[in-house]
Amino acid sequence: MPQVKIIAKNFMDMVASLPAIKLDMLYRNQFICEAILRSLPPLAKKYVLQMLYIDVPITSKSLQEWVIADGSSKHKVAIDRLIQLRVLEVIDRKKETAYKLNSTFQTNLRKHLINGGILPREPMPSNVTARLPTLEELDAYAHGQWEEQGVDQADLIAFLLELSFHTTGEAYSLNTLTDDQRAMIKDLADLGLVKLQQGRKESWFIPTKLATNLSVSLTDSSLRKQGFVVVETNFRLYAYSSSKLHCEILRLFSRVEYQLPNLIVGAITKESLYNAFENGITAEQIITFLQQNAHPRVAEKTPAVPENVTDQIRLWETDLNRVEMTPAHCYDEFPSRDVFEAASDFARVHCGLLWEDPKKMRMVVKAEIHMLMREHLRGNK
Amino acid sequence: MASAPSKLYADDVSLVVVLLDTNPFFWSSSSLSFLQFLSHVLSFLNSILTLNQLNQVVVIATGYNSCDYIFDSSLDLKRSLENGRMPVMCSSLLQKLEEFSFKDEQLSKEEPEGRIKCSLLSGSLSMALCYIQRVFRSGALHPHPRILCLQGSPDGPEQYVAIMNAIFSAQRSVVPIDSCYMGAQNSAFLQQASYITGGVHHKPQNLDGLFQYLMTIFAADLHSRSFLHLPKPVGVDFRASCFCHKNTIDMGYICSVCLSIFCKHHKKCSTCGSVFGQAQSEAASASDKKRKTPET
Repeated sequence: MPQVKIIAKNFMDMVASLPAIKLDMLYRNQFICEAILRSLPPLAKKYVLQMLYIDVPITSKSLQEWVIADGSSKHKVAIDRLIQLRVLEVIDRKKETAYKLNSTFQTNLRKHLINGGILPREPMPSNVTARLPTLEELDAYAHGQWEEQGVDQADLIAFLLELSFHTTGEAYSLNTLTDDQRAMIKDLADLGLVKLQQGRKESWFIPTKLATNLSVSLTDSSLRKQGFVVVETNFRLYAYSSSKLHCEILRLFSRVEYQLPNLIVGAITKESLYNAFENGITAEQIITFLQQNAHPRVAEKTPAVPENVTDQIRLWETDLNRVEMTPAHCYDEFPSRDVFEAASDFARVHCGLLWEDPKKMRMVVKAEIHMLMREHLRGNK
Repeated sequence: MASAPSKLYADDVSLVVVLLDTNPFFWSSSSLSFLQFLSHVLSFLNSILTLNQLNQVVVIATGYNSCDYIFDSSLDLKRSLENGRMPVMCSSLLQKLEEFSFKDEQLSKEEPEGRIKCSLLSGSLSMALCYIQRVFRSGALHPHPRILCLQGSPDGPEQYVAIMNAIFSAQRSVVPIDSCYMGAQNSAFLQQASYITGGVHHKPQNLDGLFQYLMTIFAADLHSRSFLHLPKPVGVDFRASCFCHKNTIDMGYICSVCLSIFCKHHKKCSTCGSVFGQAQSEAASASDKKRKTPET
């Protein structure tokens, strides 16, 4: 049920706000260690595993060396999260900060990985429980309970999503809710997502942080968006969408030919791509867009977007970058061939020689070594 | 040369297919005992399953004569978690491993002598790729698969063609092949496999710390790998082997139809059957002779 996942994400935030002593007690439970590990961002998980059997503190500089430059923002997010949950302890040593795993967490996670967790409770023996419901019966029961509350799953999700866009701390009148939503709001108040208050004439609800953070957790990567674009090897584009936004995005880099109620047909052409490049869109951005929004039918194929299309998009991009500019200086009228050759060797040694014409004794040298060249020439004279 | 993966990994759900070398000829002479090796590997497998609820692990044993599945987390761990994941996994895996080793040994009794004591890597690679294909066809939401080769036996030259074919199909389906080589020399096959498919190859210097190597290098999921510093390929031996004798060669003859490699001139290609023309040197001397006669 989606509700469990949503609450779990914010549950972690609640866990993080517990005082250190309480957290230490929590970490004595192997399953909580596993749950915390699973809730971490992927990079943080890797760090925990890597440091699991290292007993000495590791300097933050060493930790930084594990990631490449591109990943430094993810690195920071991971480290911050680990410190927030007190999985990582900060040890300030003179000038360098070092990190060490929380020892309770470390010991119990080690035990969990080597010995495997045994749940604190066993299922009851079958001679005691008269008749266990089958999985189907359980499902039907769960569904039935939902229905009894008169709550449609879709409605609840819609309402929760709606709530997530409200402002924390602001009061909203209960009159603005539909009957269904009013039924839901009491349960949500029990769970701490909203606070109900009553004035003299009106009653209102105030969304708490738990509710407004829902949208953050729902954009979790575990929810994969439905793609809608099919790109063919003949550069034709088919987008199964009726959204105006999608149509405008496609118009940015492709020539939209037909627009049907559920389908947009277009073609990727040199002219349309030149337009996009002039507007500052890069080929990589276009290709990433096509790949990330690939229709499920083609998304499973490798590659999702045909290679000839991606290659051609990149080639057309380089068409606009044919000229490369380097700031340089031109040297002319050398007194003698020896001076010219000495200067040319000097420039070559400093990797600054861009062009030379030995017959007419002219050369073009990079602007960076212009000063050095001047000194060299003055020294020669 | 390695193709950049065109798939975008959005999350860290992984399917790891582990190819376990059970070749008794290697393990009897290794500094690390097979039992110690298994304890490192079992803890590593448990760590993978701990990282994410949806992670899956499949283990295929690479024997001397045969290969077989010995563990599949989606089947073996479905129920009975009340006894703990690790004990269930260990008992199930070890039992199947014992049955497999026994069967593998039986097949040796009919083997001719004089073979290099290598394991059947081509077989287990093919089985792994078939399993992964099935996962791909199961629908859009599937974990990201990769193959991890834990190998100690030397390369078997007679498996060159089969292994290269497996590597290229892994490259085509964007399945990285990681390899951890525990033997004495280097394994050119594994180095090539990891290089071509975009995986990681590593030869641990200290086998006692195998678990730490596995956790540091091979536990990283495919999404995080783009941000991490992992061992880079150094000095990969890209030399091909000839199809007739399986020797590594630097220069040879290639069939223009199917690109099979031979070390000596042949009249006919053994792979596709196309007939080759005369060799260069013979054709040149024939035309010389023709030119000489009209002059007289």
